[in-house]
Amino acid sequence: MNRRAFVALVRKDLVLELRGSEVVLAMVTFVVASFVLFRFGLGGGRTAGGTRAATGLLWVAIVFTAMLALARTFAREREHAIWDGLLAAPIDRALIWLARSCSTFVFLVAVQVVALPAFWLFFLQDGPAPAYGVLVAAALLADVGIAALGSLVAGLASAGRAREVLLPVLYLPFAIPLVLGAVSATTGTIPPQTSGLHTLERLGYLALYDTVFVLFGWGLFEFVVED
Amino acid sequence: MRDRTTAARLDRATCAALVTAVLMPVALGLIFFYVPNDADQGFSQRIFYFHVPIAMTTYALFAWGALNAARYLWTGDLSLDLRSYVPMHLGVIFGTLTLVTGSFWAKVSWGTWWYWGSTELNTFLIIFLFYCAYFMLRFSVDPGEKRARYSAVYALLGVGLIPISVLAVHLGQDVIHPITFTDHGAQMDGSMLFTFLMALAAMLSLAVAMYLVELRGKRLDEQVTRLRRLAEGTR
Amino acid sequence: MRRFGERAALAGVDLHVGEGEFVLVTGPNGAGKTTLLRVLATVLRPSEGAVSVGGHELPRAADKARPRIGYVAHGPLTYPGLTARENLELYAALYGVSGDLVAPALDRVGLDDRGRDPVSEFSRGMSQRLALARACLHGPSLLLLDEPTAGLDADGRDLLREVLAEPGRTVIVSTHEPAWFEGLATSEVPIRAGRVAA
Repeated sequence: MNRRAFVALVRKDLVLELRGSEVVLAMVTFVVASFVLFRFGLGGGRTAGGTRAATGLLWVAIVFTAMLALARTFAREREHAIWDGLLAAPIDRALIWLARSCSTFVFLVAVQVVALPAFWLFFLQDGPAPAYGVLVAAALLADVGIAALGSLVAGLASAGRAREVLLPVLYLPFAIPLVLGAVSATTGTIPPQTSGLHTLERLGYLALYDTVFVLFGWGLFEFVVED
Repeated sequence: MRDRTTAARLDRATCAALVTAVLMPVALGLIFFYVPNDADQGFSQRIFYFHVPIAMTTYALFAWGALNAARYLWTGDLSLDLRSYVPMHLGVIFGTLTLVTGSFWAKVSWGTWWYWGSTELNTFLIIFLFYCAYFMLRFSVDPGEKRARYSAVYALLGVGLIPISVLAVHLGQDVIHPITFTDHGAQMDGSMLFTFLMALAAMLSLAVAMYLVELRGKRLDEQVTRLRRLAEGTR
Repeated sequence: MRRFGERAALAGVDLHVGEGEFVLVTGPNGAGKTTLLRVLATVLRPSEGAVSVGGHELPRAADKARPRIGYVAHGPLTYPGLTARENLELYAALYGVSGDLVAPALDRVGLDDRGRDPVSEFSRGMSQRLALARACLHGPSLLLLDEPTAGLDADGRDLLREVLAEPGRTVIVSTHEPAWFEGLATSEVPIRAGRVAA
């Protein structure tokens, strides 16, 4: 793998985001606003359903927030017609996908650094909380899956009309099993707890999800990227 | 030469239609008159003989569509695009039927119009959503090589989705679903198994017939469009 | 042959360009000039037919052909949010050439004092110059230029002429101003409605 090209592409995404934050700040705002909405929607005082329901909702919020990142994924290349430059270069097309997945992963993690503590603040203070280690592990695993598959699907969605609507439609069926796995993993750690094996199985499932879709992304991206 | 292949295709579609015309009434007859009532659930359990074959046919259609999608990406032969799209299209139709019959089965078996504890129903729901998304993708790209490529990529992603969903739904909830096929073979007795297999054969035959007919129809559409364009070009 | 959707943008272009030649591709808008260049740049796959660049057949051997091709497109193919220098460094990494080539490349096109400015602040003429620097950075043996004279001021045009006059390269230029390339071009290929007009 062309490591220098890969590093250059990832650095390019990170530098551009640092300079003119298009995505991360919007995502942070969005996710915190979602939490507020959920809190009020579930009933102000004691959250209806308790921390179990809230933890489930966390994953919904994470997926929807990720949509924002995915929607902007290849926007710059599209808006400024830069694709031809990347396509003409002697690099593996899959490398473009890999670099983009990595930078998306970084953005997702950056948002969660704010989102998870906010979540704790809003929801986990009254009632039994899930194990934080599992929560963080599940979040990281989910981020890999979202970034990998999302970058591929973002490429698909950018081709057609109504791409802002198309991306969520194309992506969400794949988010369902991911959320199922993550919810099961994290709510299982809320007392009365299930076994450690139960949690491990579900975290393992998330890892399997990631592996499957990383392989798909790597293999299929070149079919997506040409005109 | 073209006449011969068109004629041959016509033949296959007609053949399949004839086979279906035979199998379907036989299967219906078996379902309603031959098979004895189920011990627990009575007459309405017969919905099983519709629901499961239709579900299996949907999966078969999907597999066929995905296979042709992979072949298209491998060879670039544009005729495979239609042969991938038509099964997916039929899959939506059969999928809708699966969900409807599934809903009836839930009512029969568990008393509610949908049952969230069923692995099979829930996996199917996810797959169905995927199918709908496939169509959104197809409608949003202009016809041509790009649309074929993108549809094929998405269809293949769906192949990954199925086992992932099955596993997720399994891990995600307690599984309370009557398991009819065990390791030792079907738990149904002889007459039930026979009826089930006939129903499955009838559904598959119906799917094949619809596939061939729709394929022929779409190919003719394409030819007409091409001819029209040629005519306009020379005017 | 290249189809977009149902429309054939290029059909029946039979083109042979020898090494060291300087070919002008002319024709009205929409004739297919850009499509032709994009196919040659390995950015577009031909729908039918055979394309071969430098002995490498596309699309199969495209990655062998790419290091030898420099492509100046309609747009500058640079990221507005990055500086000129950063853009060239990115492309240097993509093409596997040393980052030390960036400064001389900027110098060559007269942008050495603007290297640290974001490209979003560049005028059209400056962007074109940067595009030229980008395309030549890795020392390609084939240069493809899509209407390179558009938007260039007098100094820019002189620079372009200098760069194009450099020996040892095959050049294919699509243009509306064939007369300007007098003295440089060795042949002209007119394209009309996707075909070579005889």
